[in-house]
Amino acid sequence: MARPAHATVLERATHVGVRALSVLVLGYLVLPIVVVLPLSFTSGELLVYPLPAWSLRWYREFTTAPDWTRALWNSTVLAVVTTVVATAVGLLAALGLQSLRSRLKPALYGLLALPLVIPHVMVAVALFYYYARLGLVGSFAGLVMAHTVLALPFVIITIAATLQGFDVNLPRAAASLGASPLQTFRMVTLPLILPGVISGAVFAFVTSFDELLVILFVGSPEQRTLPRQIWSGVSETMSPAVVAAAVVLIGVSLLLMAVVELLRRRGERLRGATRP
Amino acid sequence: MLALVAPSVLFIALFFVAPLGLFLYRSIDNSEVPGWLPRTTAALASWSGEGLPDEPAFRAVAEDLAALSGSTALPLLGRRLNHNIPGFRGLITGTGGRVDLAKPGRMREQLIAIDARWGEPAYWQTIRRERHVVTPFYLLSALDLRYGASGAIERAPAESAIFLGLLGRTLAISLVVTGLCVLLGFPLAVTMAGASPARANALLILVLIPFWTSLLVRSTAWVILLQNSGVVNQLLVGLGLAQKPIPLIFNRVGLYIAMVHVLLPFMVLPLYSVLRNIPPELMRAAASLGAPPAVAFLRVYVPQALPGLVAGASLVFVLALGYYVTPALVGGPGDQMIGYFIAYFTNTAVNWGMASALGTLLLLVVALIYLALGRVVGLNRLAVR
Amino acid sequence: MSKISRRWIALAAAALALVLAPPAVVAQTKLVVGNAGGSSADAERKVFYGPFASANKITIQEESFNQELAKIRSQVETGNLIWDMVSTTAINVATGCEEGLLEKVDWSKYFDPKVFRDVGGVSECGVPYLFVSGGLAYDGNRIKEAPKSWADFWNVRKWPGKRGLLYRAEQTFEIALMADGVPPAKAMEVLAAPGGPDRALKKLDEIKPHIHWWKNGAESINLLASGEVAMAYAWNGRVASANKTNNLNLKMELGAGHVSGCQYWAIMKGSKNKELAIKFIQYAVMAQNQADFVRVISYGPANRDAYALLSDQEKATLPGQHLDKASLQLGKLYLGFWLANGDSLLQRFVKFAAQ
Repeated sequence: MARPAHATVLERATHVGVRALSVLVLGYLVLPIVVVLPLSFTSGELLVYPLPAWSLRWYREFTTAPDWTRALWNSTVLAVVTTVVATAVGLLAALGLQSLRSRLKPALYGLLALPLVIPHVMVAVALFYYYARLGLVGSFAGLVMAHTVLALPFVIITIAATLQGFDVNLPRAAASLGASPLQTFRMVTLPLILPGVISGAVFAFVTSFDELLVILFVGSPEQRTLPRQIWSGVSETMSPAVVAAAVVLIGVSLLLMAVVELLRRRGERLRGATRP
Repeated sequence: MLALVAPSVLFIALFFVAPLGLFLYRSIDNSEVPGWLPRTTAALASWSGEGLPDEPAFRAVAEDLAALSGSTALPLLGRRLNHNIPGFRGLITGTGGRVDLAKPGRMREQLIAIDARWGEPAYWQTIRRERHVVTPFYLLSALDLRYGASGAIERAPAESAIFLGLLGRTLAISLVVTGLCVLLGFPLAVTMAGASPARANALLILVLIPFWTSLLVRSTAWVILLQNSGVVNQLLVGLGLAQKPIPLIFNRVGLYIAMVHVLLPFMVLPLYSVLRNIPPELMRAAASLGAPPAVAFLRVYVPQALPGLVAGASLVFVLALGYYVTPALVGGPGDQMIGYFIAYFTNTAVNWGMASALGTLLLLVVALIYLALGRVVGLNRLAVR
Repeated sequence: MSKISRRWIALAAAALALVLAPPAVVAQTKLVVGNAGGSSADAERKVFYGPFASANKITIQEESFNQELAKIRSQVETGNLIWDMVSTTAINVATGCEEGLLEKVDWSKYFDPKVFRDVGGVSECGVPYLFVSGGLAYDGNRIKEAPKSWADFWNVRKWPGKRGLLYRAEQTFEIALMADGVPPAKAMEVLAAPGGPDRALKKLDEIKPHIHWWKNGAESINLLASGEVAMAYAWNGRVASANKTNNLNLKMELGAGHVSGCQYWAIMKGSKNKELAIKFIQYAVMAQNQADFVRVISYGPANRDAYALLSDQEKATLPGQHLDKASLQLGKLYLGFWLANGDSLLQRFVKFAAQ
């Protein structure tokens, strides 16, 4: 390939420039999170470097102070129940949508994806007015419903994506061999789409676990979750315990991210193996 | 098969569409005024709006207010009308407690004796205008418009005209954030797309880490890092780059730093998924045909990348429009966006009509953008996470 | 329709039923209080909530409340009570009482209302329990030459650095007028006269780039303690308790003029625990408990009998001797003006702050 020499120099310079910029951008993306984490291990009260000494003092506070332990418990319970409901309901919808051959399909997809595109602050405020009328402000059921609605699109989209690569002849084959629809689902369909279902469930969990605005507007004092507790920490007194709580949130998120990534890569490998 | 979808549809309908619909309806809901002033609104329907209305209207308002006297509806009605004219509340509550229906003589004189403001046409015109169960009042206010004395729509006085500026600011912040995301995200996505699969995966993880970290946590991190005594300023001063701490938080600079950080993955991920599928042969073909790299890049690569750029940019823009948490934590009063004021009118100012009108405005902008982009990108591409 | 989907629906319905089932009831009676958070809530917990709860075998739950009336209104108007009582301001007591958001109680059945006369008396819907002064505060370790007046606060040349002010129209407008030379006792009068708010805004505009707005009391103290601002408008009790617990040297110059008024206990309309809440209020305003409260946070007592229980040294921590320098948050003029103009002035203020 003959190219003028000056272009090659320029091209290389651009190349190096783009790479250098990429490194800077990646630093900007990751460093703030990384830099803040150690501050939770300070023995002092201020969030500055250098740390006076390393200490687990603030984690002790996080695991013993009733405000924080209750928040962690509330977050977990709410996220688990939301995950169960959203995954069950969303799985049904994804299965239904897949075999639906109707002109309704795009409209249904649009409707179900709606919560993704509306700003959450509006959803939270609207739910506040709505729940106020229904007497659901401060109720557990109300929170689960709200979080389910916010999580549903993620579940449906993730499972639907798995179903797209799913060979519809497999359940047909199973049926022709005499399996009942339930058997077919349990023994053929579910194992194949399980990675998608798990990913969807993880998305639902994280959506609920990290959610702040709905809790802020329709949650009661006993329902304070970790994000709600962090929020009041930041807007009132920022102590290293807030950072400790943030570290816990990050840890949970990254763990779940690893699950989804592993499933995704496994899926890619499997698809690559079966379809050259 | 529809039955399988039914539970989801039911959920969305009951806990999403219905609340939003009712919320948006509040921006025109005016049932309080005709509900609490039935006689007055009926009497004023036939009034021309010039000068003062006739005695029957005075009698009607006296009867309506006397009927509400002692109940909590009276101050609530006053509060509602106070949105139109400050001080209306006092007029309503003050009159309701003192009006005497049995007193002989014309009601007009009695009311004006109780409060001289009943002799001013502006108050009567307001009730007349607000006599229907729906009102354009809040939506007009959200656009800094109001009804003037003559009944024509006019611009609100400068001191209360706040919302067009707010809308402009919201759009401007979102635009700048989107622009910065494109500037920073494009080179990164190009590098990722050009890397070997193993390295691309490693880079992807680095983008996914902030993407999965909660928005609140990342905003909190910036609050800690950017404050005067924070790590960034420690570093700047320590390295001699600044004499004293630079104000980086509670202003626009800090807001951009934090918002771009929060939204950048939404730019990089869709863009990367598009760039990854551009065959490298294309650029090589262009080069072998004699195109200089810059030309090849602009005329071959960029058009291929465009769908990803548009998808990422529109996603970032629309998400930015509705932001609340990050500006609330990192921005100053001059950096708050529409979302903040929706919360503010709900929580602090108790003006639900106004909260709803601002929500309608925000939704309208979002819908317009989707309509404009719908054909270009398609909604499914926007659903990354 | 296939068998699968029907089973799944049944399963989903079962899950839903499980979720919708009412949560288990808590055995112990619980009183939920909305309060201002931070060190003032800490003091209330120590002196009022803790002892009262253990004496009556109940639990008291707190939630932060930055005087957003909407939080009370949405609970009461929908019959969705989460709180039983609130710690709130004179304007909210007046508004809430008129709009039927707060319980009306004949307090004379429970204590002698006369002891509150010095601070404006009890209202049908609320009982004052602390007297707070908002004034000029600064860090004595950072500022060598003490500012003496609000004009000094405005003087950013001589005292460089940011200024912390309350992000509300009420209180901040009064302070701005004092900075413009209005005697504190006349501030409300000038503000309520035509052109008053314009004058206040014009004055605020002079130092606008230097203002750091704060929204809750804890924030004002953090700003001073971290040096983020050089001076701030702050509430006296929080300043005193920050000095005590965090070993700071914050100073207040109440002689510059201040905005002072009471914080009230009020009961949410329709509270199931009304009797218990009354009992709590009765407890919290007893002279002995009022005196104990003063010792913890240095807010003035609302019950004048508490003064007799305080030592001279303790009394010296209170802003009592500067009352002639106060713009008081009570009286007809104050309440009438903010009830009628509060919303529109707040909107003007927000617009001003955002420009």
